Amino acid sequence: MKLPATAAHSVSLQPRSRRRPRFRHHPGWSAGAATLGALTLILAGCSSSGSPSTSSTGTPQAGHKGGTFTILANSAFGVADPAQNYTLEQWQLLIDTHDGLVGFAKVGGVPGSKIVPDLATSVPTPTNGGKTYVFHIRKGIKFSNGQTLKPSDFVRTFERQFTVPGPTSFYSGLVGASKCSTKGCDLSQGVVADDSAYTLTLNLTAPDPELMDQLSLPFAFAVPGNTSPKLTGNNVPPGTGPYMWKSYNPNTQAVLVRNPYFHVWNAEAQPEAYPNEIIEKYGLLVSDEVRAVQNGQANEVFDGDQIPSDQLSQLNSPKYANQVHVNTLTADWYFALNTRRPPFNNLQARQAINYAANRAAYVKIAGGSSLAVPTCQILPPNYPSYAPYCPYTAGPGHNTWTGPDLAKAKQLVQQSGTAGMKVVVNGTTDQVGKALVEQMIADLDAIGYKASAQLLATSIQYPFVQNSANSGKWNVGWSAWYQDYPAQSDFLNVLLGCGTIHPNSDASPNIAAFCDQSIQAKIDQAESMAATDPTGAAKLWTEIDQADTNAAPWVDMYNPKQIDFLSSNVHGYLWNPQWYILIDRLWLS
Amino acid sequence: MLTFIIRRLLWTVLVMFVITVIVYIIFFKTPGVDPARAIAGRNPSAQVIAEIREQFGLNKPLPVQYALMMKSLFVTRDLVSYSNQGLKVVPEIAAATPATLSLVFGAAVIWVVASIAVGVAAALLRGTVFDPLLMVAALIGVSAPVFWVGQVANMITQGSLHDTFLFSWVPPLGYTPFTQDPALWFKGLVIPWITLSILYIGLYGRVLRANIIETQNEDFIRTARAKGIPERQVLVRHTLRTSMITFVSLFGLDFGALVAGGALLTEVVFGIHGVGFLAYQGFINLDLPTIMATVVYGAFFIVLANALVDIAYAWLDPRIRPT
Amino acid sequence: MATLLEQVEVGAGQQSGVVGRNPWALAGRRLWRNRVAMAALGVFLLIVVLCLAAPLYANNVAHVNPFPPNLNGHTVVNGTVVPVMQQGGGTLHLGETPIGPTWDPGHYFLGADSVGRDVAALLLYGGRSSLLIGIGSAVLCCLGATIVALLAGFFGGTVDALLSRLMDIIWAFPVYLLAISISTELLTHSSGFQVGPVHVSASSLWLPTVIIAFIFVPYVYRPVRGQVLSVVNKEFVEASVAQGASNLRLVFSEILPNVVSTVIVLLPLIIATTILTESALSFLSIGVQPPNVSWGTIIQDGTDLVYTRPWVSLAPGLMILLTVLSLNVFGDGVRDALDPRAKLRVEG
Repeated sequence: MKLPATAAHSVSLQPRSRRRPRFRHHPGWSAGAATLGALTLILAGCSSSGSPSTSSTGTPQAGHKGGTFTILANSAFGVADPAQNYTLEQWQLLIDTHDGLVGFAKVGGVPGSKIVPDLATSVPTPTNGGKTYVFHIRKGIKFSNGQTLKPSDFVRTFERQFTVPGPTSFYSGLVGASKCSTKGCDLSQGVVADDSAYTLTLNLTAPDPELMDQLSLPFAFAVPGNTSPKLTGNNVPPGTGPYMWKSYNPNTQAVLVRNPYFHVWNAEAQPEAYPNEIIEKYGLLVSDEVRAVQNGQANEVFDGDQIPSDQLSQLNSPKYANQVHVNTLTADWYFALNTRRPPFNNLQARQAINYAANRAAYVKIAGGSSLAVPTCQILPPNYPSYAPYCPYTAGPGHNTWTGPDLAKAKQLVQQSGTAGMKVVVNGTTDQVGKALVEQMIADLDAIGYKASAQLLATSIQYPFVQNSANSGKWNVGWSAWYQDYPAQSDFLNVLLGCGTIHPNSDASPNIAAFCDQSIQAKIDQAESMAATDPTGAAKLWTEIDQADTNAAPWVDMYNPKQIDFLSSNVHGYLWNPQWYILIDRLWLS
Repeated sequence: MLTFIIRRLLWTVLVMFVITVIVYIIFFKTPGVDPARAIAGRNPSAQVIAEIREQFGLNKPLPVQYALMMKSLFVTRDLVSYSNQGLKVVPEIAAATPATLSLVFGAAVIWVVASIAVGVAAALLRGTVFDPLLMVAALIGVSAPVFWVGQVANMITQGSLHDTFLFSWVPPLGYTPFTQDPALWFKGLVIPWITLSILYIGLYGRVLRANIIETQNEDFIRTARAKGIPERQVLVRHTLRTSMITFVSLFGLDFGALVAGGALLTEVVFGIHGVGFLAYQGFINLDLPTIMATVVYGAFFIVLANALVDIAYAWLDPRIRPT
Repeated sequence: MATLLEQVEVGAGQQSGVVGRNPWALAGRRLWRNRVAMAALGVFLLIVVLCLAAPLYANNVAHVNPFPPNLNGHTVVNGTVVPVMQQGGGTLHLGETPIGPTWDPGHYFLGADSVGRDVAALLLYGGRSSLLIGIGSAVLCCLGATIVALLAGFFGGTVDALLSRLMDIIWAFPVYLLAISISTELLTHSSGFQVGPVHVSASSLWLPTVIIAFIFVPYVYRPVRGQVLSVVNKEFVEASVAQGASNLRLVFSEILPNVVSTVIVLLPLIIATTILTESALSFLSIGVQPPNVSWGTIIQDGTDLVYTRPWVSLAPGLMILLTVLSLNVFGDGVRDALDPRAKLRVEG
């Protein structure tokens, strides 16, 4: 998932790095990946420093209810319609105001990746060769406007995925979806609602083991059946969650108040919420957000990744020990190498820059080793199928990066015959982006290339590097990717699969244009094995990760960590691997 | 005279039209901008983008698109931002205007009063050591980049000295509407006012001083003195009035430029969400509706101020009448 | 009045009559006598020399290449070797802070910036860019404005009206949009483009120079045109016309010399303005592009370090202040020298 274009609404002069990621292009319905089994398999223990994130599913304590929780954010998240909005910023609020058929468990730690039933009574197993799912919808649940939730509400919910402009690939496997467009959508075959039996049947054109993950995304959260099929702008349709949207003005604030009709039906999916009100204020400078939270005038800094280094050093003080939480993200920050043209159409040249890249310097740009972990491979730690692997390091080891190997790098450059070539490094104009590009230029110059910078505004840089029409203008392009949900294909197939290269399109997430048929065959095999042999599939994905790393389509720099800075009166911090901080589970003293 | 005014005003409209056309063309020439993709939300398929293009008329020829945008900007006033489909641009600018006006008016009051004091003092003290000293001090204000002065001001008032009695009253950066909390509105604007006015105090102080000195050498002043009019009256009623002509015309131009969004850097450094700030965000996001609306807003005030000043000049001195 | 006194002086030293002096020489003398203005010129020239000596400083004194990041580097402070970037303390170790000023000219005199580069060396190199752009664009601007003003003032009528409206359009135009758009356009042509014989690369300093020159043309145009208008109406021009002088001769021999002094008075003030504008554009990342550095880009780098390492943004700001101040004071002196009666009321 990638950062939102609206992210550049930064108030700080140069947005340091607005990495609020959510981007996924589903390559095709048949490309399923991790099953529920694989999900709970390989996730290692959380690696957080500061206050350890607790994985409590503790019973809600009535005494904790009350108060107003105020979040400060640099900029708003764009338009508020849940059918279009693809930002973590809004998703963290939408999971409190709306519910889906199923959802990720709202607990901290590893158990938070488990998918549990929410508006459905149970997670169904598919029939009909994996193409039909029958959900039994709970009775007695009301929207915040008093309407009772019926299965037929879901029909409109899914249709809106197509009639409202936005990502459509997640649900394009529903029968009838191929004919849907912003002009109209008829999913009566694909989404069959029976309001008397209270069931909802989803019919797919082909099996998809990732369906449950996709149904857990807020796109699929229920809205009333009479919601307009068009974009509702900044008026969020009613939902079934513990809160409801009172107002949203992207220039000032969003206000969420308690949904009077909410009651707990499955505490794992949607527990009781503590704060009475949630307010998110926009437009502040990040340094001011930090100051306000330090003074207790607000409760959370949303833009932890943009805290200036000034204040980061302040936050080291022991008095903030209980207020600062650092958690590893399943995300990559990398430079894609343009494999379409010289010098990086040459494997040795690509490996050379991987050996030369000074990942320690990149980590320092990110704020030091407590905020970023150097990496050479594609999959991030704590991810399904992750096994530490780094061939591009000095010294004999193969698993962790210790330092660059300039001698090897220069040798490879000579062997490749690309020495002395001009290389253009593309990145963003914000401070961190610029620093990363400058360091890459230094690394390239050190091994005999002649590198220069091409810095573009954040809102243009991402579509620019994706579009093949611009391929002749850059050789190394910065990008970042965060998980949509914990599926290996989310990284390995979406970013490096042959099927995600879309020529002349601004939406072609395989920026490096990397396509290796033998690796692709393995990917296809792993996806088809997912339902039948999850363990085998997981092992195969690990091999794919290593094969991709050896082919060096990227210079992967580091996996970032997330800082959450809360005020001193906030308790009950939980880190969920999918949604990060769980706001409604925090309580104020 | 009347025809001159009418002609200037007509030219004003023409100038604004030309500016909007140029902005439009420049925008579409910039690589990497595709309004359809921005409107379509994130990660849309090619099909969706094509649909959007049709729906929003983005596949029509440029002049038609331009006309449509002008219509939604001026006539129906429901022009919607590309980066955020829920946001109407015209009300956004209307909401941002009070912040800019508060900033600019307050700064203007300070700088006019201070520069008159400085200019008069320097003229009176001419020949002593204070004259060049005052002028150099005034020049310092003119010579520093305003965003840097703002940064230094923040360094001082929000940084280590924030907790001392000197600056503890300074609220966090940002603008509070007057209707919401007048005291906070005032406190939050004091430092930005001073920062913005420092630049102009120097300029205007020097202009006034130069004009006063020049006027004082004029014959009619000598006559007034010869007539026995007290010095203070000579200064205020005769000298100052004549010297203020340049002052006033320059003020008109600068004030117009500031209201038009020229205080962009000050607004950004202090986190004041005025029109300049909006314009800056529009540029960064390459959001054409915001850019167009802020440019129109700005151009209107600048051209209006220019025209008013020219009219005033022409009225005062027929030799300088342009046409 | 000084003029009269001088002339009397001269006359007293001569056997017969008063010897007229070239007004330029007289102005020069007045300027020379203006100690404050001369001091300001001295300061400006000193800054220019310092900046020109940037490579000398970087190579021989500080022994650094200040352009690539130096995040893993080390330097010597008080005899001990310290890392240039220091990790945060406490239990969390968040953040990396560059070292502060060591006040040792050989080792990070003013400290390091957010990627570990030597601020003092960067400052001098940055000065080269800022001064080059400032002076270059001011000269271009004055040239362009003078030509347009001559045309407008000389031909008057519709030409004047059209040109003045054109100037209005340019003046009202949003400079930031122009800068962003042109920057983006150029940057995405990685090999730059050709303008006649000149090859402009994407990160060339010509780009901000031309943009800034362009946007200030109306600013210079106004007073110069006013001066042209007043000269055009004078009797000696009428006399020339009566004598049958061609337009070209009129413009170059009669009008231009009388307008040049206006432009000369304006030049230092315009340089001051262009330097300030360049710093603003660079601060917003739409001016000077990497690998070039300017005072504005250094201030931008220092924005995140304002409270812990204030010198990163204080130093370039002070340099700008000093440079522009000296130009303004000198400009005042030039104006006083060329027109002691302060007839010109144009301010920079």
